Amino acid sequence: MHETDIHDLSDDADYAAASKQGSSSMTRTDSSKQRSSNDPKDAEIVYLKDNVTIHPTQYAAERISGRLKLVKQGSSLFMTWIPYKGQSSNTRLSARDKNLYTIRALPFSDIQSIRRHTPTIGWQYVIVVSSGLAFPPLYFYSGGVREFLATIKQHVLIVRSSEDANLFLVNNFQDPLQRTLSSLELPGSLANRTPSSLGSPSDGNLENNHILEDGQLRSVQQNNKQRQKSHDPARDISIQVLEKFSLVTRFARETTSQLFRESLVDGHGPTEKRRTNWASKDHQSQEMVSNDVEIVPKRVHVPSDPLEFDKLSLVWGQPRQHPLGLQEWSSFLDSEGRIVDPDALKKRIFYGGVEHNLRKEVWTFLLGYYSYDSTYAEREYVVSVKRSEYETIKTQWQSISPEQAKRFTKFRERKGLIDKDVVRTDRSLSFYEGDDNANVRHMHDILLTYSFYNFDLGYCQGMSDLLSPILFILKDESEAFWCFVSLLERLGPNFNRDQSGMHSQLFALSKLVELLDSPLHNYFKQNDCLNYFFCFRWILIQFKREFENEKTLRLWEVLWTHYPSEHLHLYICIAILKRHRSKIMGEQMDFDTLLKFINELSGQIDLDPVLREAEALCVYAGENGAASIPPGTPPSLPIQDSSMYHQQDDEVL
Amino acid sequence: MATIGHNNLNAKLVLLGDMGAGKSSLVLRFVKGQFLEFQESTIGAAFFSQTLAVNDATVKFEIWDTAGQERYHSLAPMYYRGAAAAIIVYDITSADSFTRAKKWVQELQKQGNPNMVMALAGNKADLEEKRKVTAEEARAYADENGLFFMETSAKTAANVNDVFHEIAKRLPRAQPTQNPAGMVLVDRPAEGARAASCCS
Ligand SMILES: Nc1nc2c(ncn2[C@@H]2O[C@H](COP(=O)(O)OP(=O)(O)OP(=O)(O)O)[C@@H](O)[C@H]2O)c(=O)[nH]1
Ligand SMILES: [Mg+2]
Repeated sequence: MHETDIHDLSDDADYAAASKQGSSSMTRTDSSKQRSSNDPKDAEIVYLKDNVTIHPTQYAAERISGRLKLVKQGSSLFMTWIPYKGQSSNTRLSARDKNLYTIRALPFSDIQSIRRHTPTIGWQYVIVVSSGLAFPPLYFYSGGVREFLATIKQHVLIVRSSEDANLFLVNNFQDPLQRTLSSLELPGSLANRTPSSLGSPSDGNLENNHILEDGQLRSVQQNNKQRQKSHDPARDISIQVLEKFSLVTRFARETTSQLFRESLVDGHGPTEKRRTNWASKDHQSQEMVSNDVEIVPKRVHVPSDPLEFDKLSLVWGQPRQHPLGLQEWSSFLDSEGRIVDPDALKKRIFYGGVEHNLRKEVWTFLLGYYSYDSTYAEREYVVSVKRSEYETIKTQWQSISPEQAKRFTKFRERKGLIDKDVVRTDRSLSFYEGDDNANVRHMHDILLTYSFYNFDLGYCQGMSDLLSPILFILKDESEAFWCFVSLLERLGPNFNRDQSGMHSQLFALSKLVELLDSPLHNYFKQNDCLNYFFCFRWILIQFKREFENEKTLRLWEVLWTHYPSEHLHLYICIAILKRHRSKIMGEQMDFDTLLKFINELSGQIDLDPVLREAEALCVYAGENGAASIPPGTPPSLPIQDSSMYHQQDDEVL
Repeated sequence: MATIGHNNLNAKLVLLGDMGAGKSSLVLRFVKGQFLEFQESTIGAAFFSQTLAVNDATVKFEIWDTAGQERYHSLAPMYYRGAAAAIIVYDITSADSFTRAKKWVQELQKQGNPNMVMALAGNKADLEEKRKVTAEEARAYADENGLFFMETSAKTAANVNDVFHEIAKRLPRAQPTQNPAGMVLVDRPAEGARAASCCS
């Protein structure tokens, strides 16, 4: 599968160093005879995933990313997870901490179960239970849980629990002890419950939960071993899992805080504690938030915006400028047509956008169809090469005969979806108006060709919304296709079947609101709105449905400059939410009302001030803002290309 | 959940069905009396409310209109959780959409509120010449599964209000105020209370 590379060696050095320090309780020393301290020569890596991360605390800076591997040696399969070296800037994360979490060659013969979580919101993750001990959740930032499980299935006996489709039993699933696992509350479901159900009597005492000494953990493990021998296996496993979690509540609590449909978490960052009385009130009442009896103050007091929003945007957000015109545009080009200073150009476009008749030319650069350092001649060449390449891909579906189509369900399905969508996309624009409109046909052809170009991703509702403005500006089928391809390089993960791309953006959004408007964050928390699902449409299609056409074009070219952040769209979400925060909180909107309210903002949003405020928020948030956004969050280019689209089929297992 | 206050009932209703079957069009017809030839696809979900008078009571429907594409299936439980009623919509000119409707029925039977009132709506009844699913077949299926069935047209408005009226009539008048046990979905435990919008 993947070759061992240089990075791997550094991992292994880490690994060797860690082994010397003595094994932590997380290490299964009994497997040592089956491995050397380095990956043995005869071992084969059958699965490798980067950016698999644990969240020891709720602080983004303390997350530990690493590389997950499945290693096959002889007939045995091992799992390893090794943190990256020196990746964290945080001094609180000592080497010992990392060592503690490291999973070294865990043999599958020790593993009891793997629970898969593909939550609606948040990253997908797995919890591995071995000898009654649950490892901290492993978050797959770049997807790949399905592939992980599929690979395991190729090498060891693994079955899906009949009672729970997300629970996979490994090895001795015939063993009655193992079988009862499926009917038990495993850590996965526990982590989703309220902390009070995690069952530690000392739950309220945070200090206890922070102690993660090696010794303590080891004693837990021994404890577990003893308990395994006692009589009622079912009860027993649930007990040890509970105890495990009460002692490692640091994991559990903070895992819980990542699952933000969960309302009851101790997510008070140091900044929040300083803030308004609302926040401190919440701090006291947090134990009862999940009770339905949470007391709502009679007279609704809307906590003020901690940032004094208006002033902030005056200080930080620059006034919008007039759009870039032809003359100024020429000044960015050298005699052969190269763009001398792309950054200056992007900055200019960020503040003013582009005049309409220049868009066709400028967008090709912003979208990456042309490179900034290409010459006029090179671009002419690119156009002709790309045109024939487009035609080649298009022929792939055009040559499908009706007879062939009868036997090609996927093709018929996709074509059906596209047929249905193109006739209801922007038909009120004169460009797409009327029966038998040629541009609607172009849109159809581009989308169908794209679904062959990127067969794994296929067609998904929302794509026609992304294509429509591009075709409207480019007015050329092949060029529009390639620009659309470039756009989807970044936004394609929005359409992942497991919704991982959307999850990570909504997750980042919640973290940013927490940072930039903690009273609003607390309000969402108390009203079960932390999934931010009301922003789904905004993000999925880049506000396409929220603005009239001309404004959408302006917004998009501004976003595509990636100045001052490639995640400016998230700050735009916050800017819009902040403009309505007093209404949202004052009227005590619940999730339903909020979603309706947000949907109805369509056509009511004033773009220029929002852009200015978004810039201000972005500048103000600075590094803390950037740290709230996990690596690889769209539209960032994925860290690893191959991980961009995981298989879209559902039936691997 | 349907909840009672005096003679007023609040009921959460969800529309499910294949993309392009006409879910949004049905809601738009019911709520605003309009029909758009080029009704745009639903992204995420939309929420509407509309009140109906039935006998001596009023029923306020809180309507969730969902996105139809299979790709967004994983988001559906967020909307049907705690719903008192569902309209499962298919397009009478598409056999596939009927197959999809049956899958929705199965899913609701397995995961949804056991007291949910379910309606099967064969939409686009105005397109008789393109019909692929007979009313008999659909009715038989509905009878077997305890749903009530109507063919509708959002375009001509035929039977649209009737579906909602029939649901309003069938809503149980007394409901437990909490989600019944066993309804809580894995991975989504904290949401039940919110969705039920009850206890008011
Ligand atoms: N002839 C006819 N066309 C209809 C009827 N209902 C809807 N349509 C058309 O069918 C298309 C799809 O309708 P929508 O209401 O958007 O379908 P939907 O189920 O909401 O689709 P998604 O939001 O994509 O899941 C639109 O072009 C409608 O104009 C109907 O009763 N008769
Ligand atoms: Mg719709």
